[in-house]
Amino acid sequence: MFEIERRALMKGAALSALTFTAGGAKFLLSPRQARAQNIAFKTLTPEQVETLEAIGETLVPGSKEAGVSHFVDQQLSVPPGEALLEARILNVRPPYANFYRAALGAVDKASKAHNSDRGIAQLKDDERSAFVDLMRHNKIVGWQGPAGPFVYLVLRSDAVDVVYGTMEGYAALGIPYMPHIAPLKRW
Amino acid sequence: MANEKTDVVIVGAGASGTLYASVLAKAGKKVVLLESGPDWQLSDLISSDFWGRRVKPAGIPFLLEGKNPYGYAYQAGWGVGGAALHYFANFPRYMPNDFKVKSEHSRGLDWPISYADIAPYYDKVAAEIGVSGDAKAEEIWRPKGEPYPMPPMKTFRNGDVWKKGCEAIGIRMVPAAVGMNSTEFKGRPACIYDGWCHVGCPIGALANPQVTYLADARKAGAEVRALSTVTRVLTNQAGNKVTGVEYYDAKKEKQVQEARVVVLAAWSAQNPRLMMISATDKHPKGLANSSGLLGKYMMAHYASGTWALFDDDVENHMGTVGAQYMSYDRYDKTSKKDAFGSTFIVAGTALKTSDLGGFANARLDLFGPKLTDFMKRAKRGITRLTAFGEEMPNVENRIELTDGKDEFGMPLAKIVHSFDQDAVALWNANFQEGLTIAKETGAKEFWSARGNQPTIHLFGGTIMGAGAGDSIANSYGQTHEIGNLWIAGPGLFPTEGASNPTFTIFAVSQRGAEQLVSEWSAIAG
Repeated sequence: MFEIERRALMKGAALSALTFTAGGAKFLLSPRQARAQNIAFKTLTPEQVETLEAIGETLVPGSKEAGVSHFVDQQLSVPPGEALLEARILNVRPPYANFYRAALGAVDKASKAHNSDRGIAQLKDDERSAFVDLMRHNKIVGWQGPAGPFVYLVLRSDAVDVVYGTMEGYAALGIPYMPHIAPLKRW
Repeated sequence: MANEKTDVVIVGAGASGTLYASVLAKAGKKVVLLESGPDWQLSDLISSDFWGRRVKPAGIPFLLEGKNPYGYAYQAGWGVGGAALHYFANFPRYMPNDFKVKSEHSRGLDWPISYADIAPYYDKVAAEIGVSGDAKAEEIWRPKGEPYPMPPMKTFRNGDVWKKGCEAIGIRMVPAAVGMNSTEFKGRPACIYDGWCHVGCPIGALANPQVTYLADARKAGAEVRALSTVTRVLTNQAGNKVTGVEYYDAKKEKQVQEARVVVLAAWSAQNPRLMMISATDKHPKGLANSSGLLGKYMMAHYASGTWALFDDDVENHMGTVGAQYMSYDRYDKTSKKDAFGSTFIVAGTALKTSDLGGFANARLDLFGPKLTDFMKRAKRGITRLTAFGEEMPNVENRIELTDGKDEFGMPLAKIVHSFDQDAVALWNANFQEGLTIAKETGAKEFWSARGNQPTIHLFGGTIMGAGAGDSIANSYGQTHEIGNLWIAGPGLFPTEGASNPTFTIFAVSQRGAEQLVSEWSAIAG
């Protein structure tokens, strides 16, 4: 009685890869594939991408290659009602781009202020870790932007999503994914 | 634009709204359901934590204030099915002591009804939509009732270890009552224990409205208008009747739907907002608000979680997101010294990696290589116990309109919420007991899931009571001052208990909907 018809199931599956645009054409890709294909960013600036990838990689190793910046960028380009970002369920008010601009700007400014004008991408691994640790404890003097612990939570969640929340991520950990309706392209 | 007058317009197609729609449509009433979100289909329910976020709100019109701001978005609904589209389907019931807190303890409020008034409706709902559990086992804590229509769900080691730990310190655990199918039920298949309940069960093994009340309502002729945002409840000149609602449709065009009866089932925070926005010269403080209590006594549950990590496989990828075991052994309001309120304990849940409930957040302090190492260690060995706590009603926890406007030019509202000392003390006491239990499980490591005190579920704002002086509605949900304006959902609850509320929401709604049908002529005439 309530079995899903195959046609309906395929409709659901088709919704589950992200739409990226390149050369005027639209492609269904995972963020990892979008990064590998060097798909242009729509919303984030090159500086914001650099900051997001650096802090993402510090928070969750593997997130840069898994396409955290393409994931966030693509998500900021869709209406809030279609967004998949954890910010959505953490009560961030749309448009979500406002939060990311403020958060990434705060990270960049604070890093430069405390590290001889070097952004987080220019810091050594141990310096990045120390910076993130201070940020999550809200102990960065002169921090300007959304609260440091909240920025930590949101960006860590994005990075966790692309590394551990995908079918690939489950497979890498050895956890059976067991979907009812599988996301397309293991994303 | 005006539409043809209908018998009933229901605002909100979630748990209580769809139940009302089903009962009324089956009684032959012409029903229109207005829902601000999309018309989700089962095929939309993709098994993924981040795809699952689509069925939750994105920026609903509430600002959050207070010492413990209410975190709505994770647990609220958006679209047909409401929060019940992605709920955990834990179906414990309230206990007799939940209904008489003021009489028995001189604290909080009383309900105008008792457990005995609700009990038959628990049984009726269970038979209607399907509940799995062991009613006999529960009767160590509550009066006897009907057996559940299905036996308990399967259990897995991730729950069994906690049962052992609880029993070691004298806490009895019984199979959790859940709105899920342990066997095939009314043409819906049995659960396959893959743990994707929280993003919506597309096979119908979990009793979400799409396969229960909403399906029944549609079959009986109810009309659902999705992407339709109600902005005002309309009243007659005398102010003693509602005449319908004003709303904006999917094309953002203004519409009027006249109706003989209006049922507000839009959510505990949204119902009072709408009633405040709809103020007239006859109801200057908002509809049915001569008491001044509209939007007051907002309440939330909170949880004290305990994580345990084992070296061996506890099958934590298996099960449901609902509980496998539950206990009311700490449900007495005075079971914890210096911390008034009930505690409800559940254990055994399937875990996913990401999202708020994922085990990547079990150690939120970890990042970098330490997080990588933790994920590898936890992937098969981590499990969680949860103790829910009760907050007493406080008139300062409230909904208020603000000067801001939504996209339709209607006032935004704010939810002001702070926990009192009892709630904080009970939260802390439950963490302590969680560690005591965990020690008895034999886990290699265990720790409290501490962070900001969470706010879970939302109650109050339109509480039921004896009359217009102390409440907004009667025990059926009919407002005291406007006989054909009804309210449905946990906003009616004067106290919140500590157990998950949906079974009680259904039972109270079933009772209200049947009353509306039986008294239809007097109410809608």
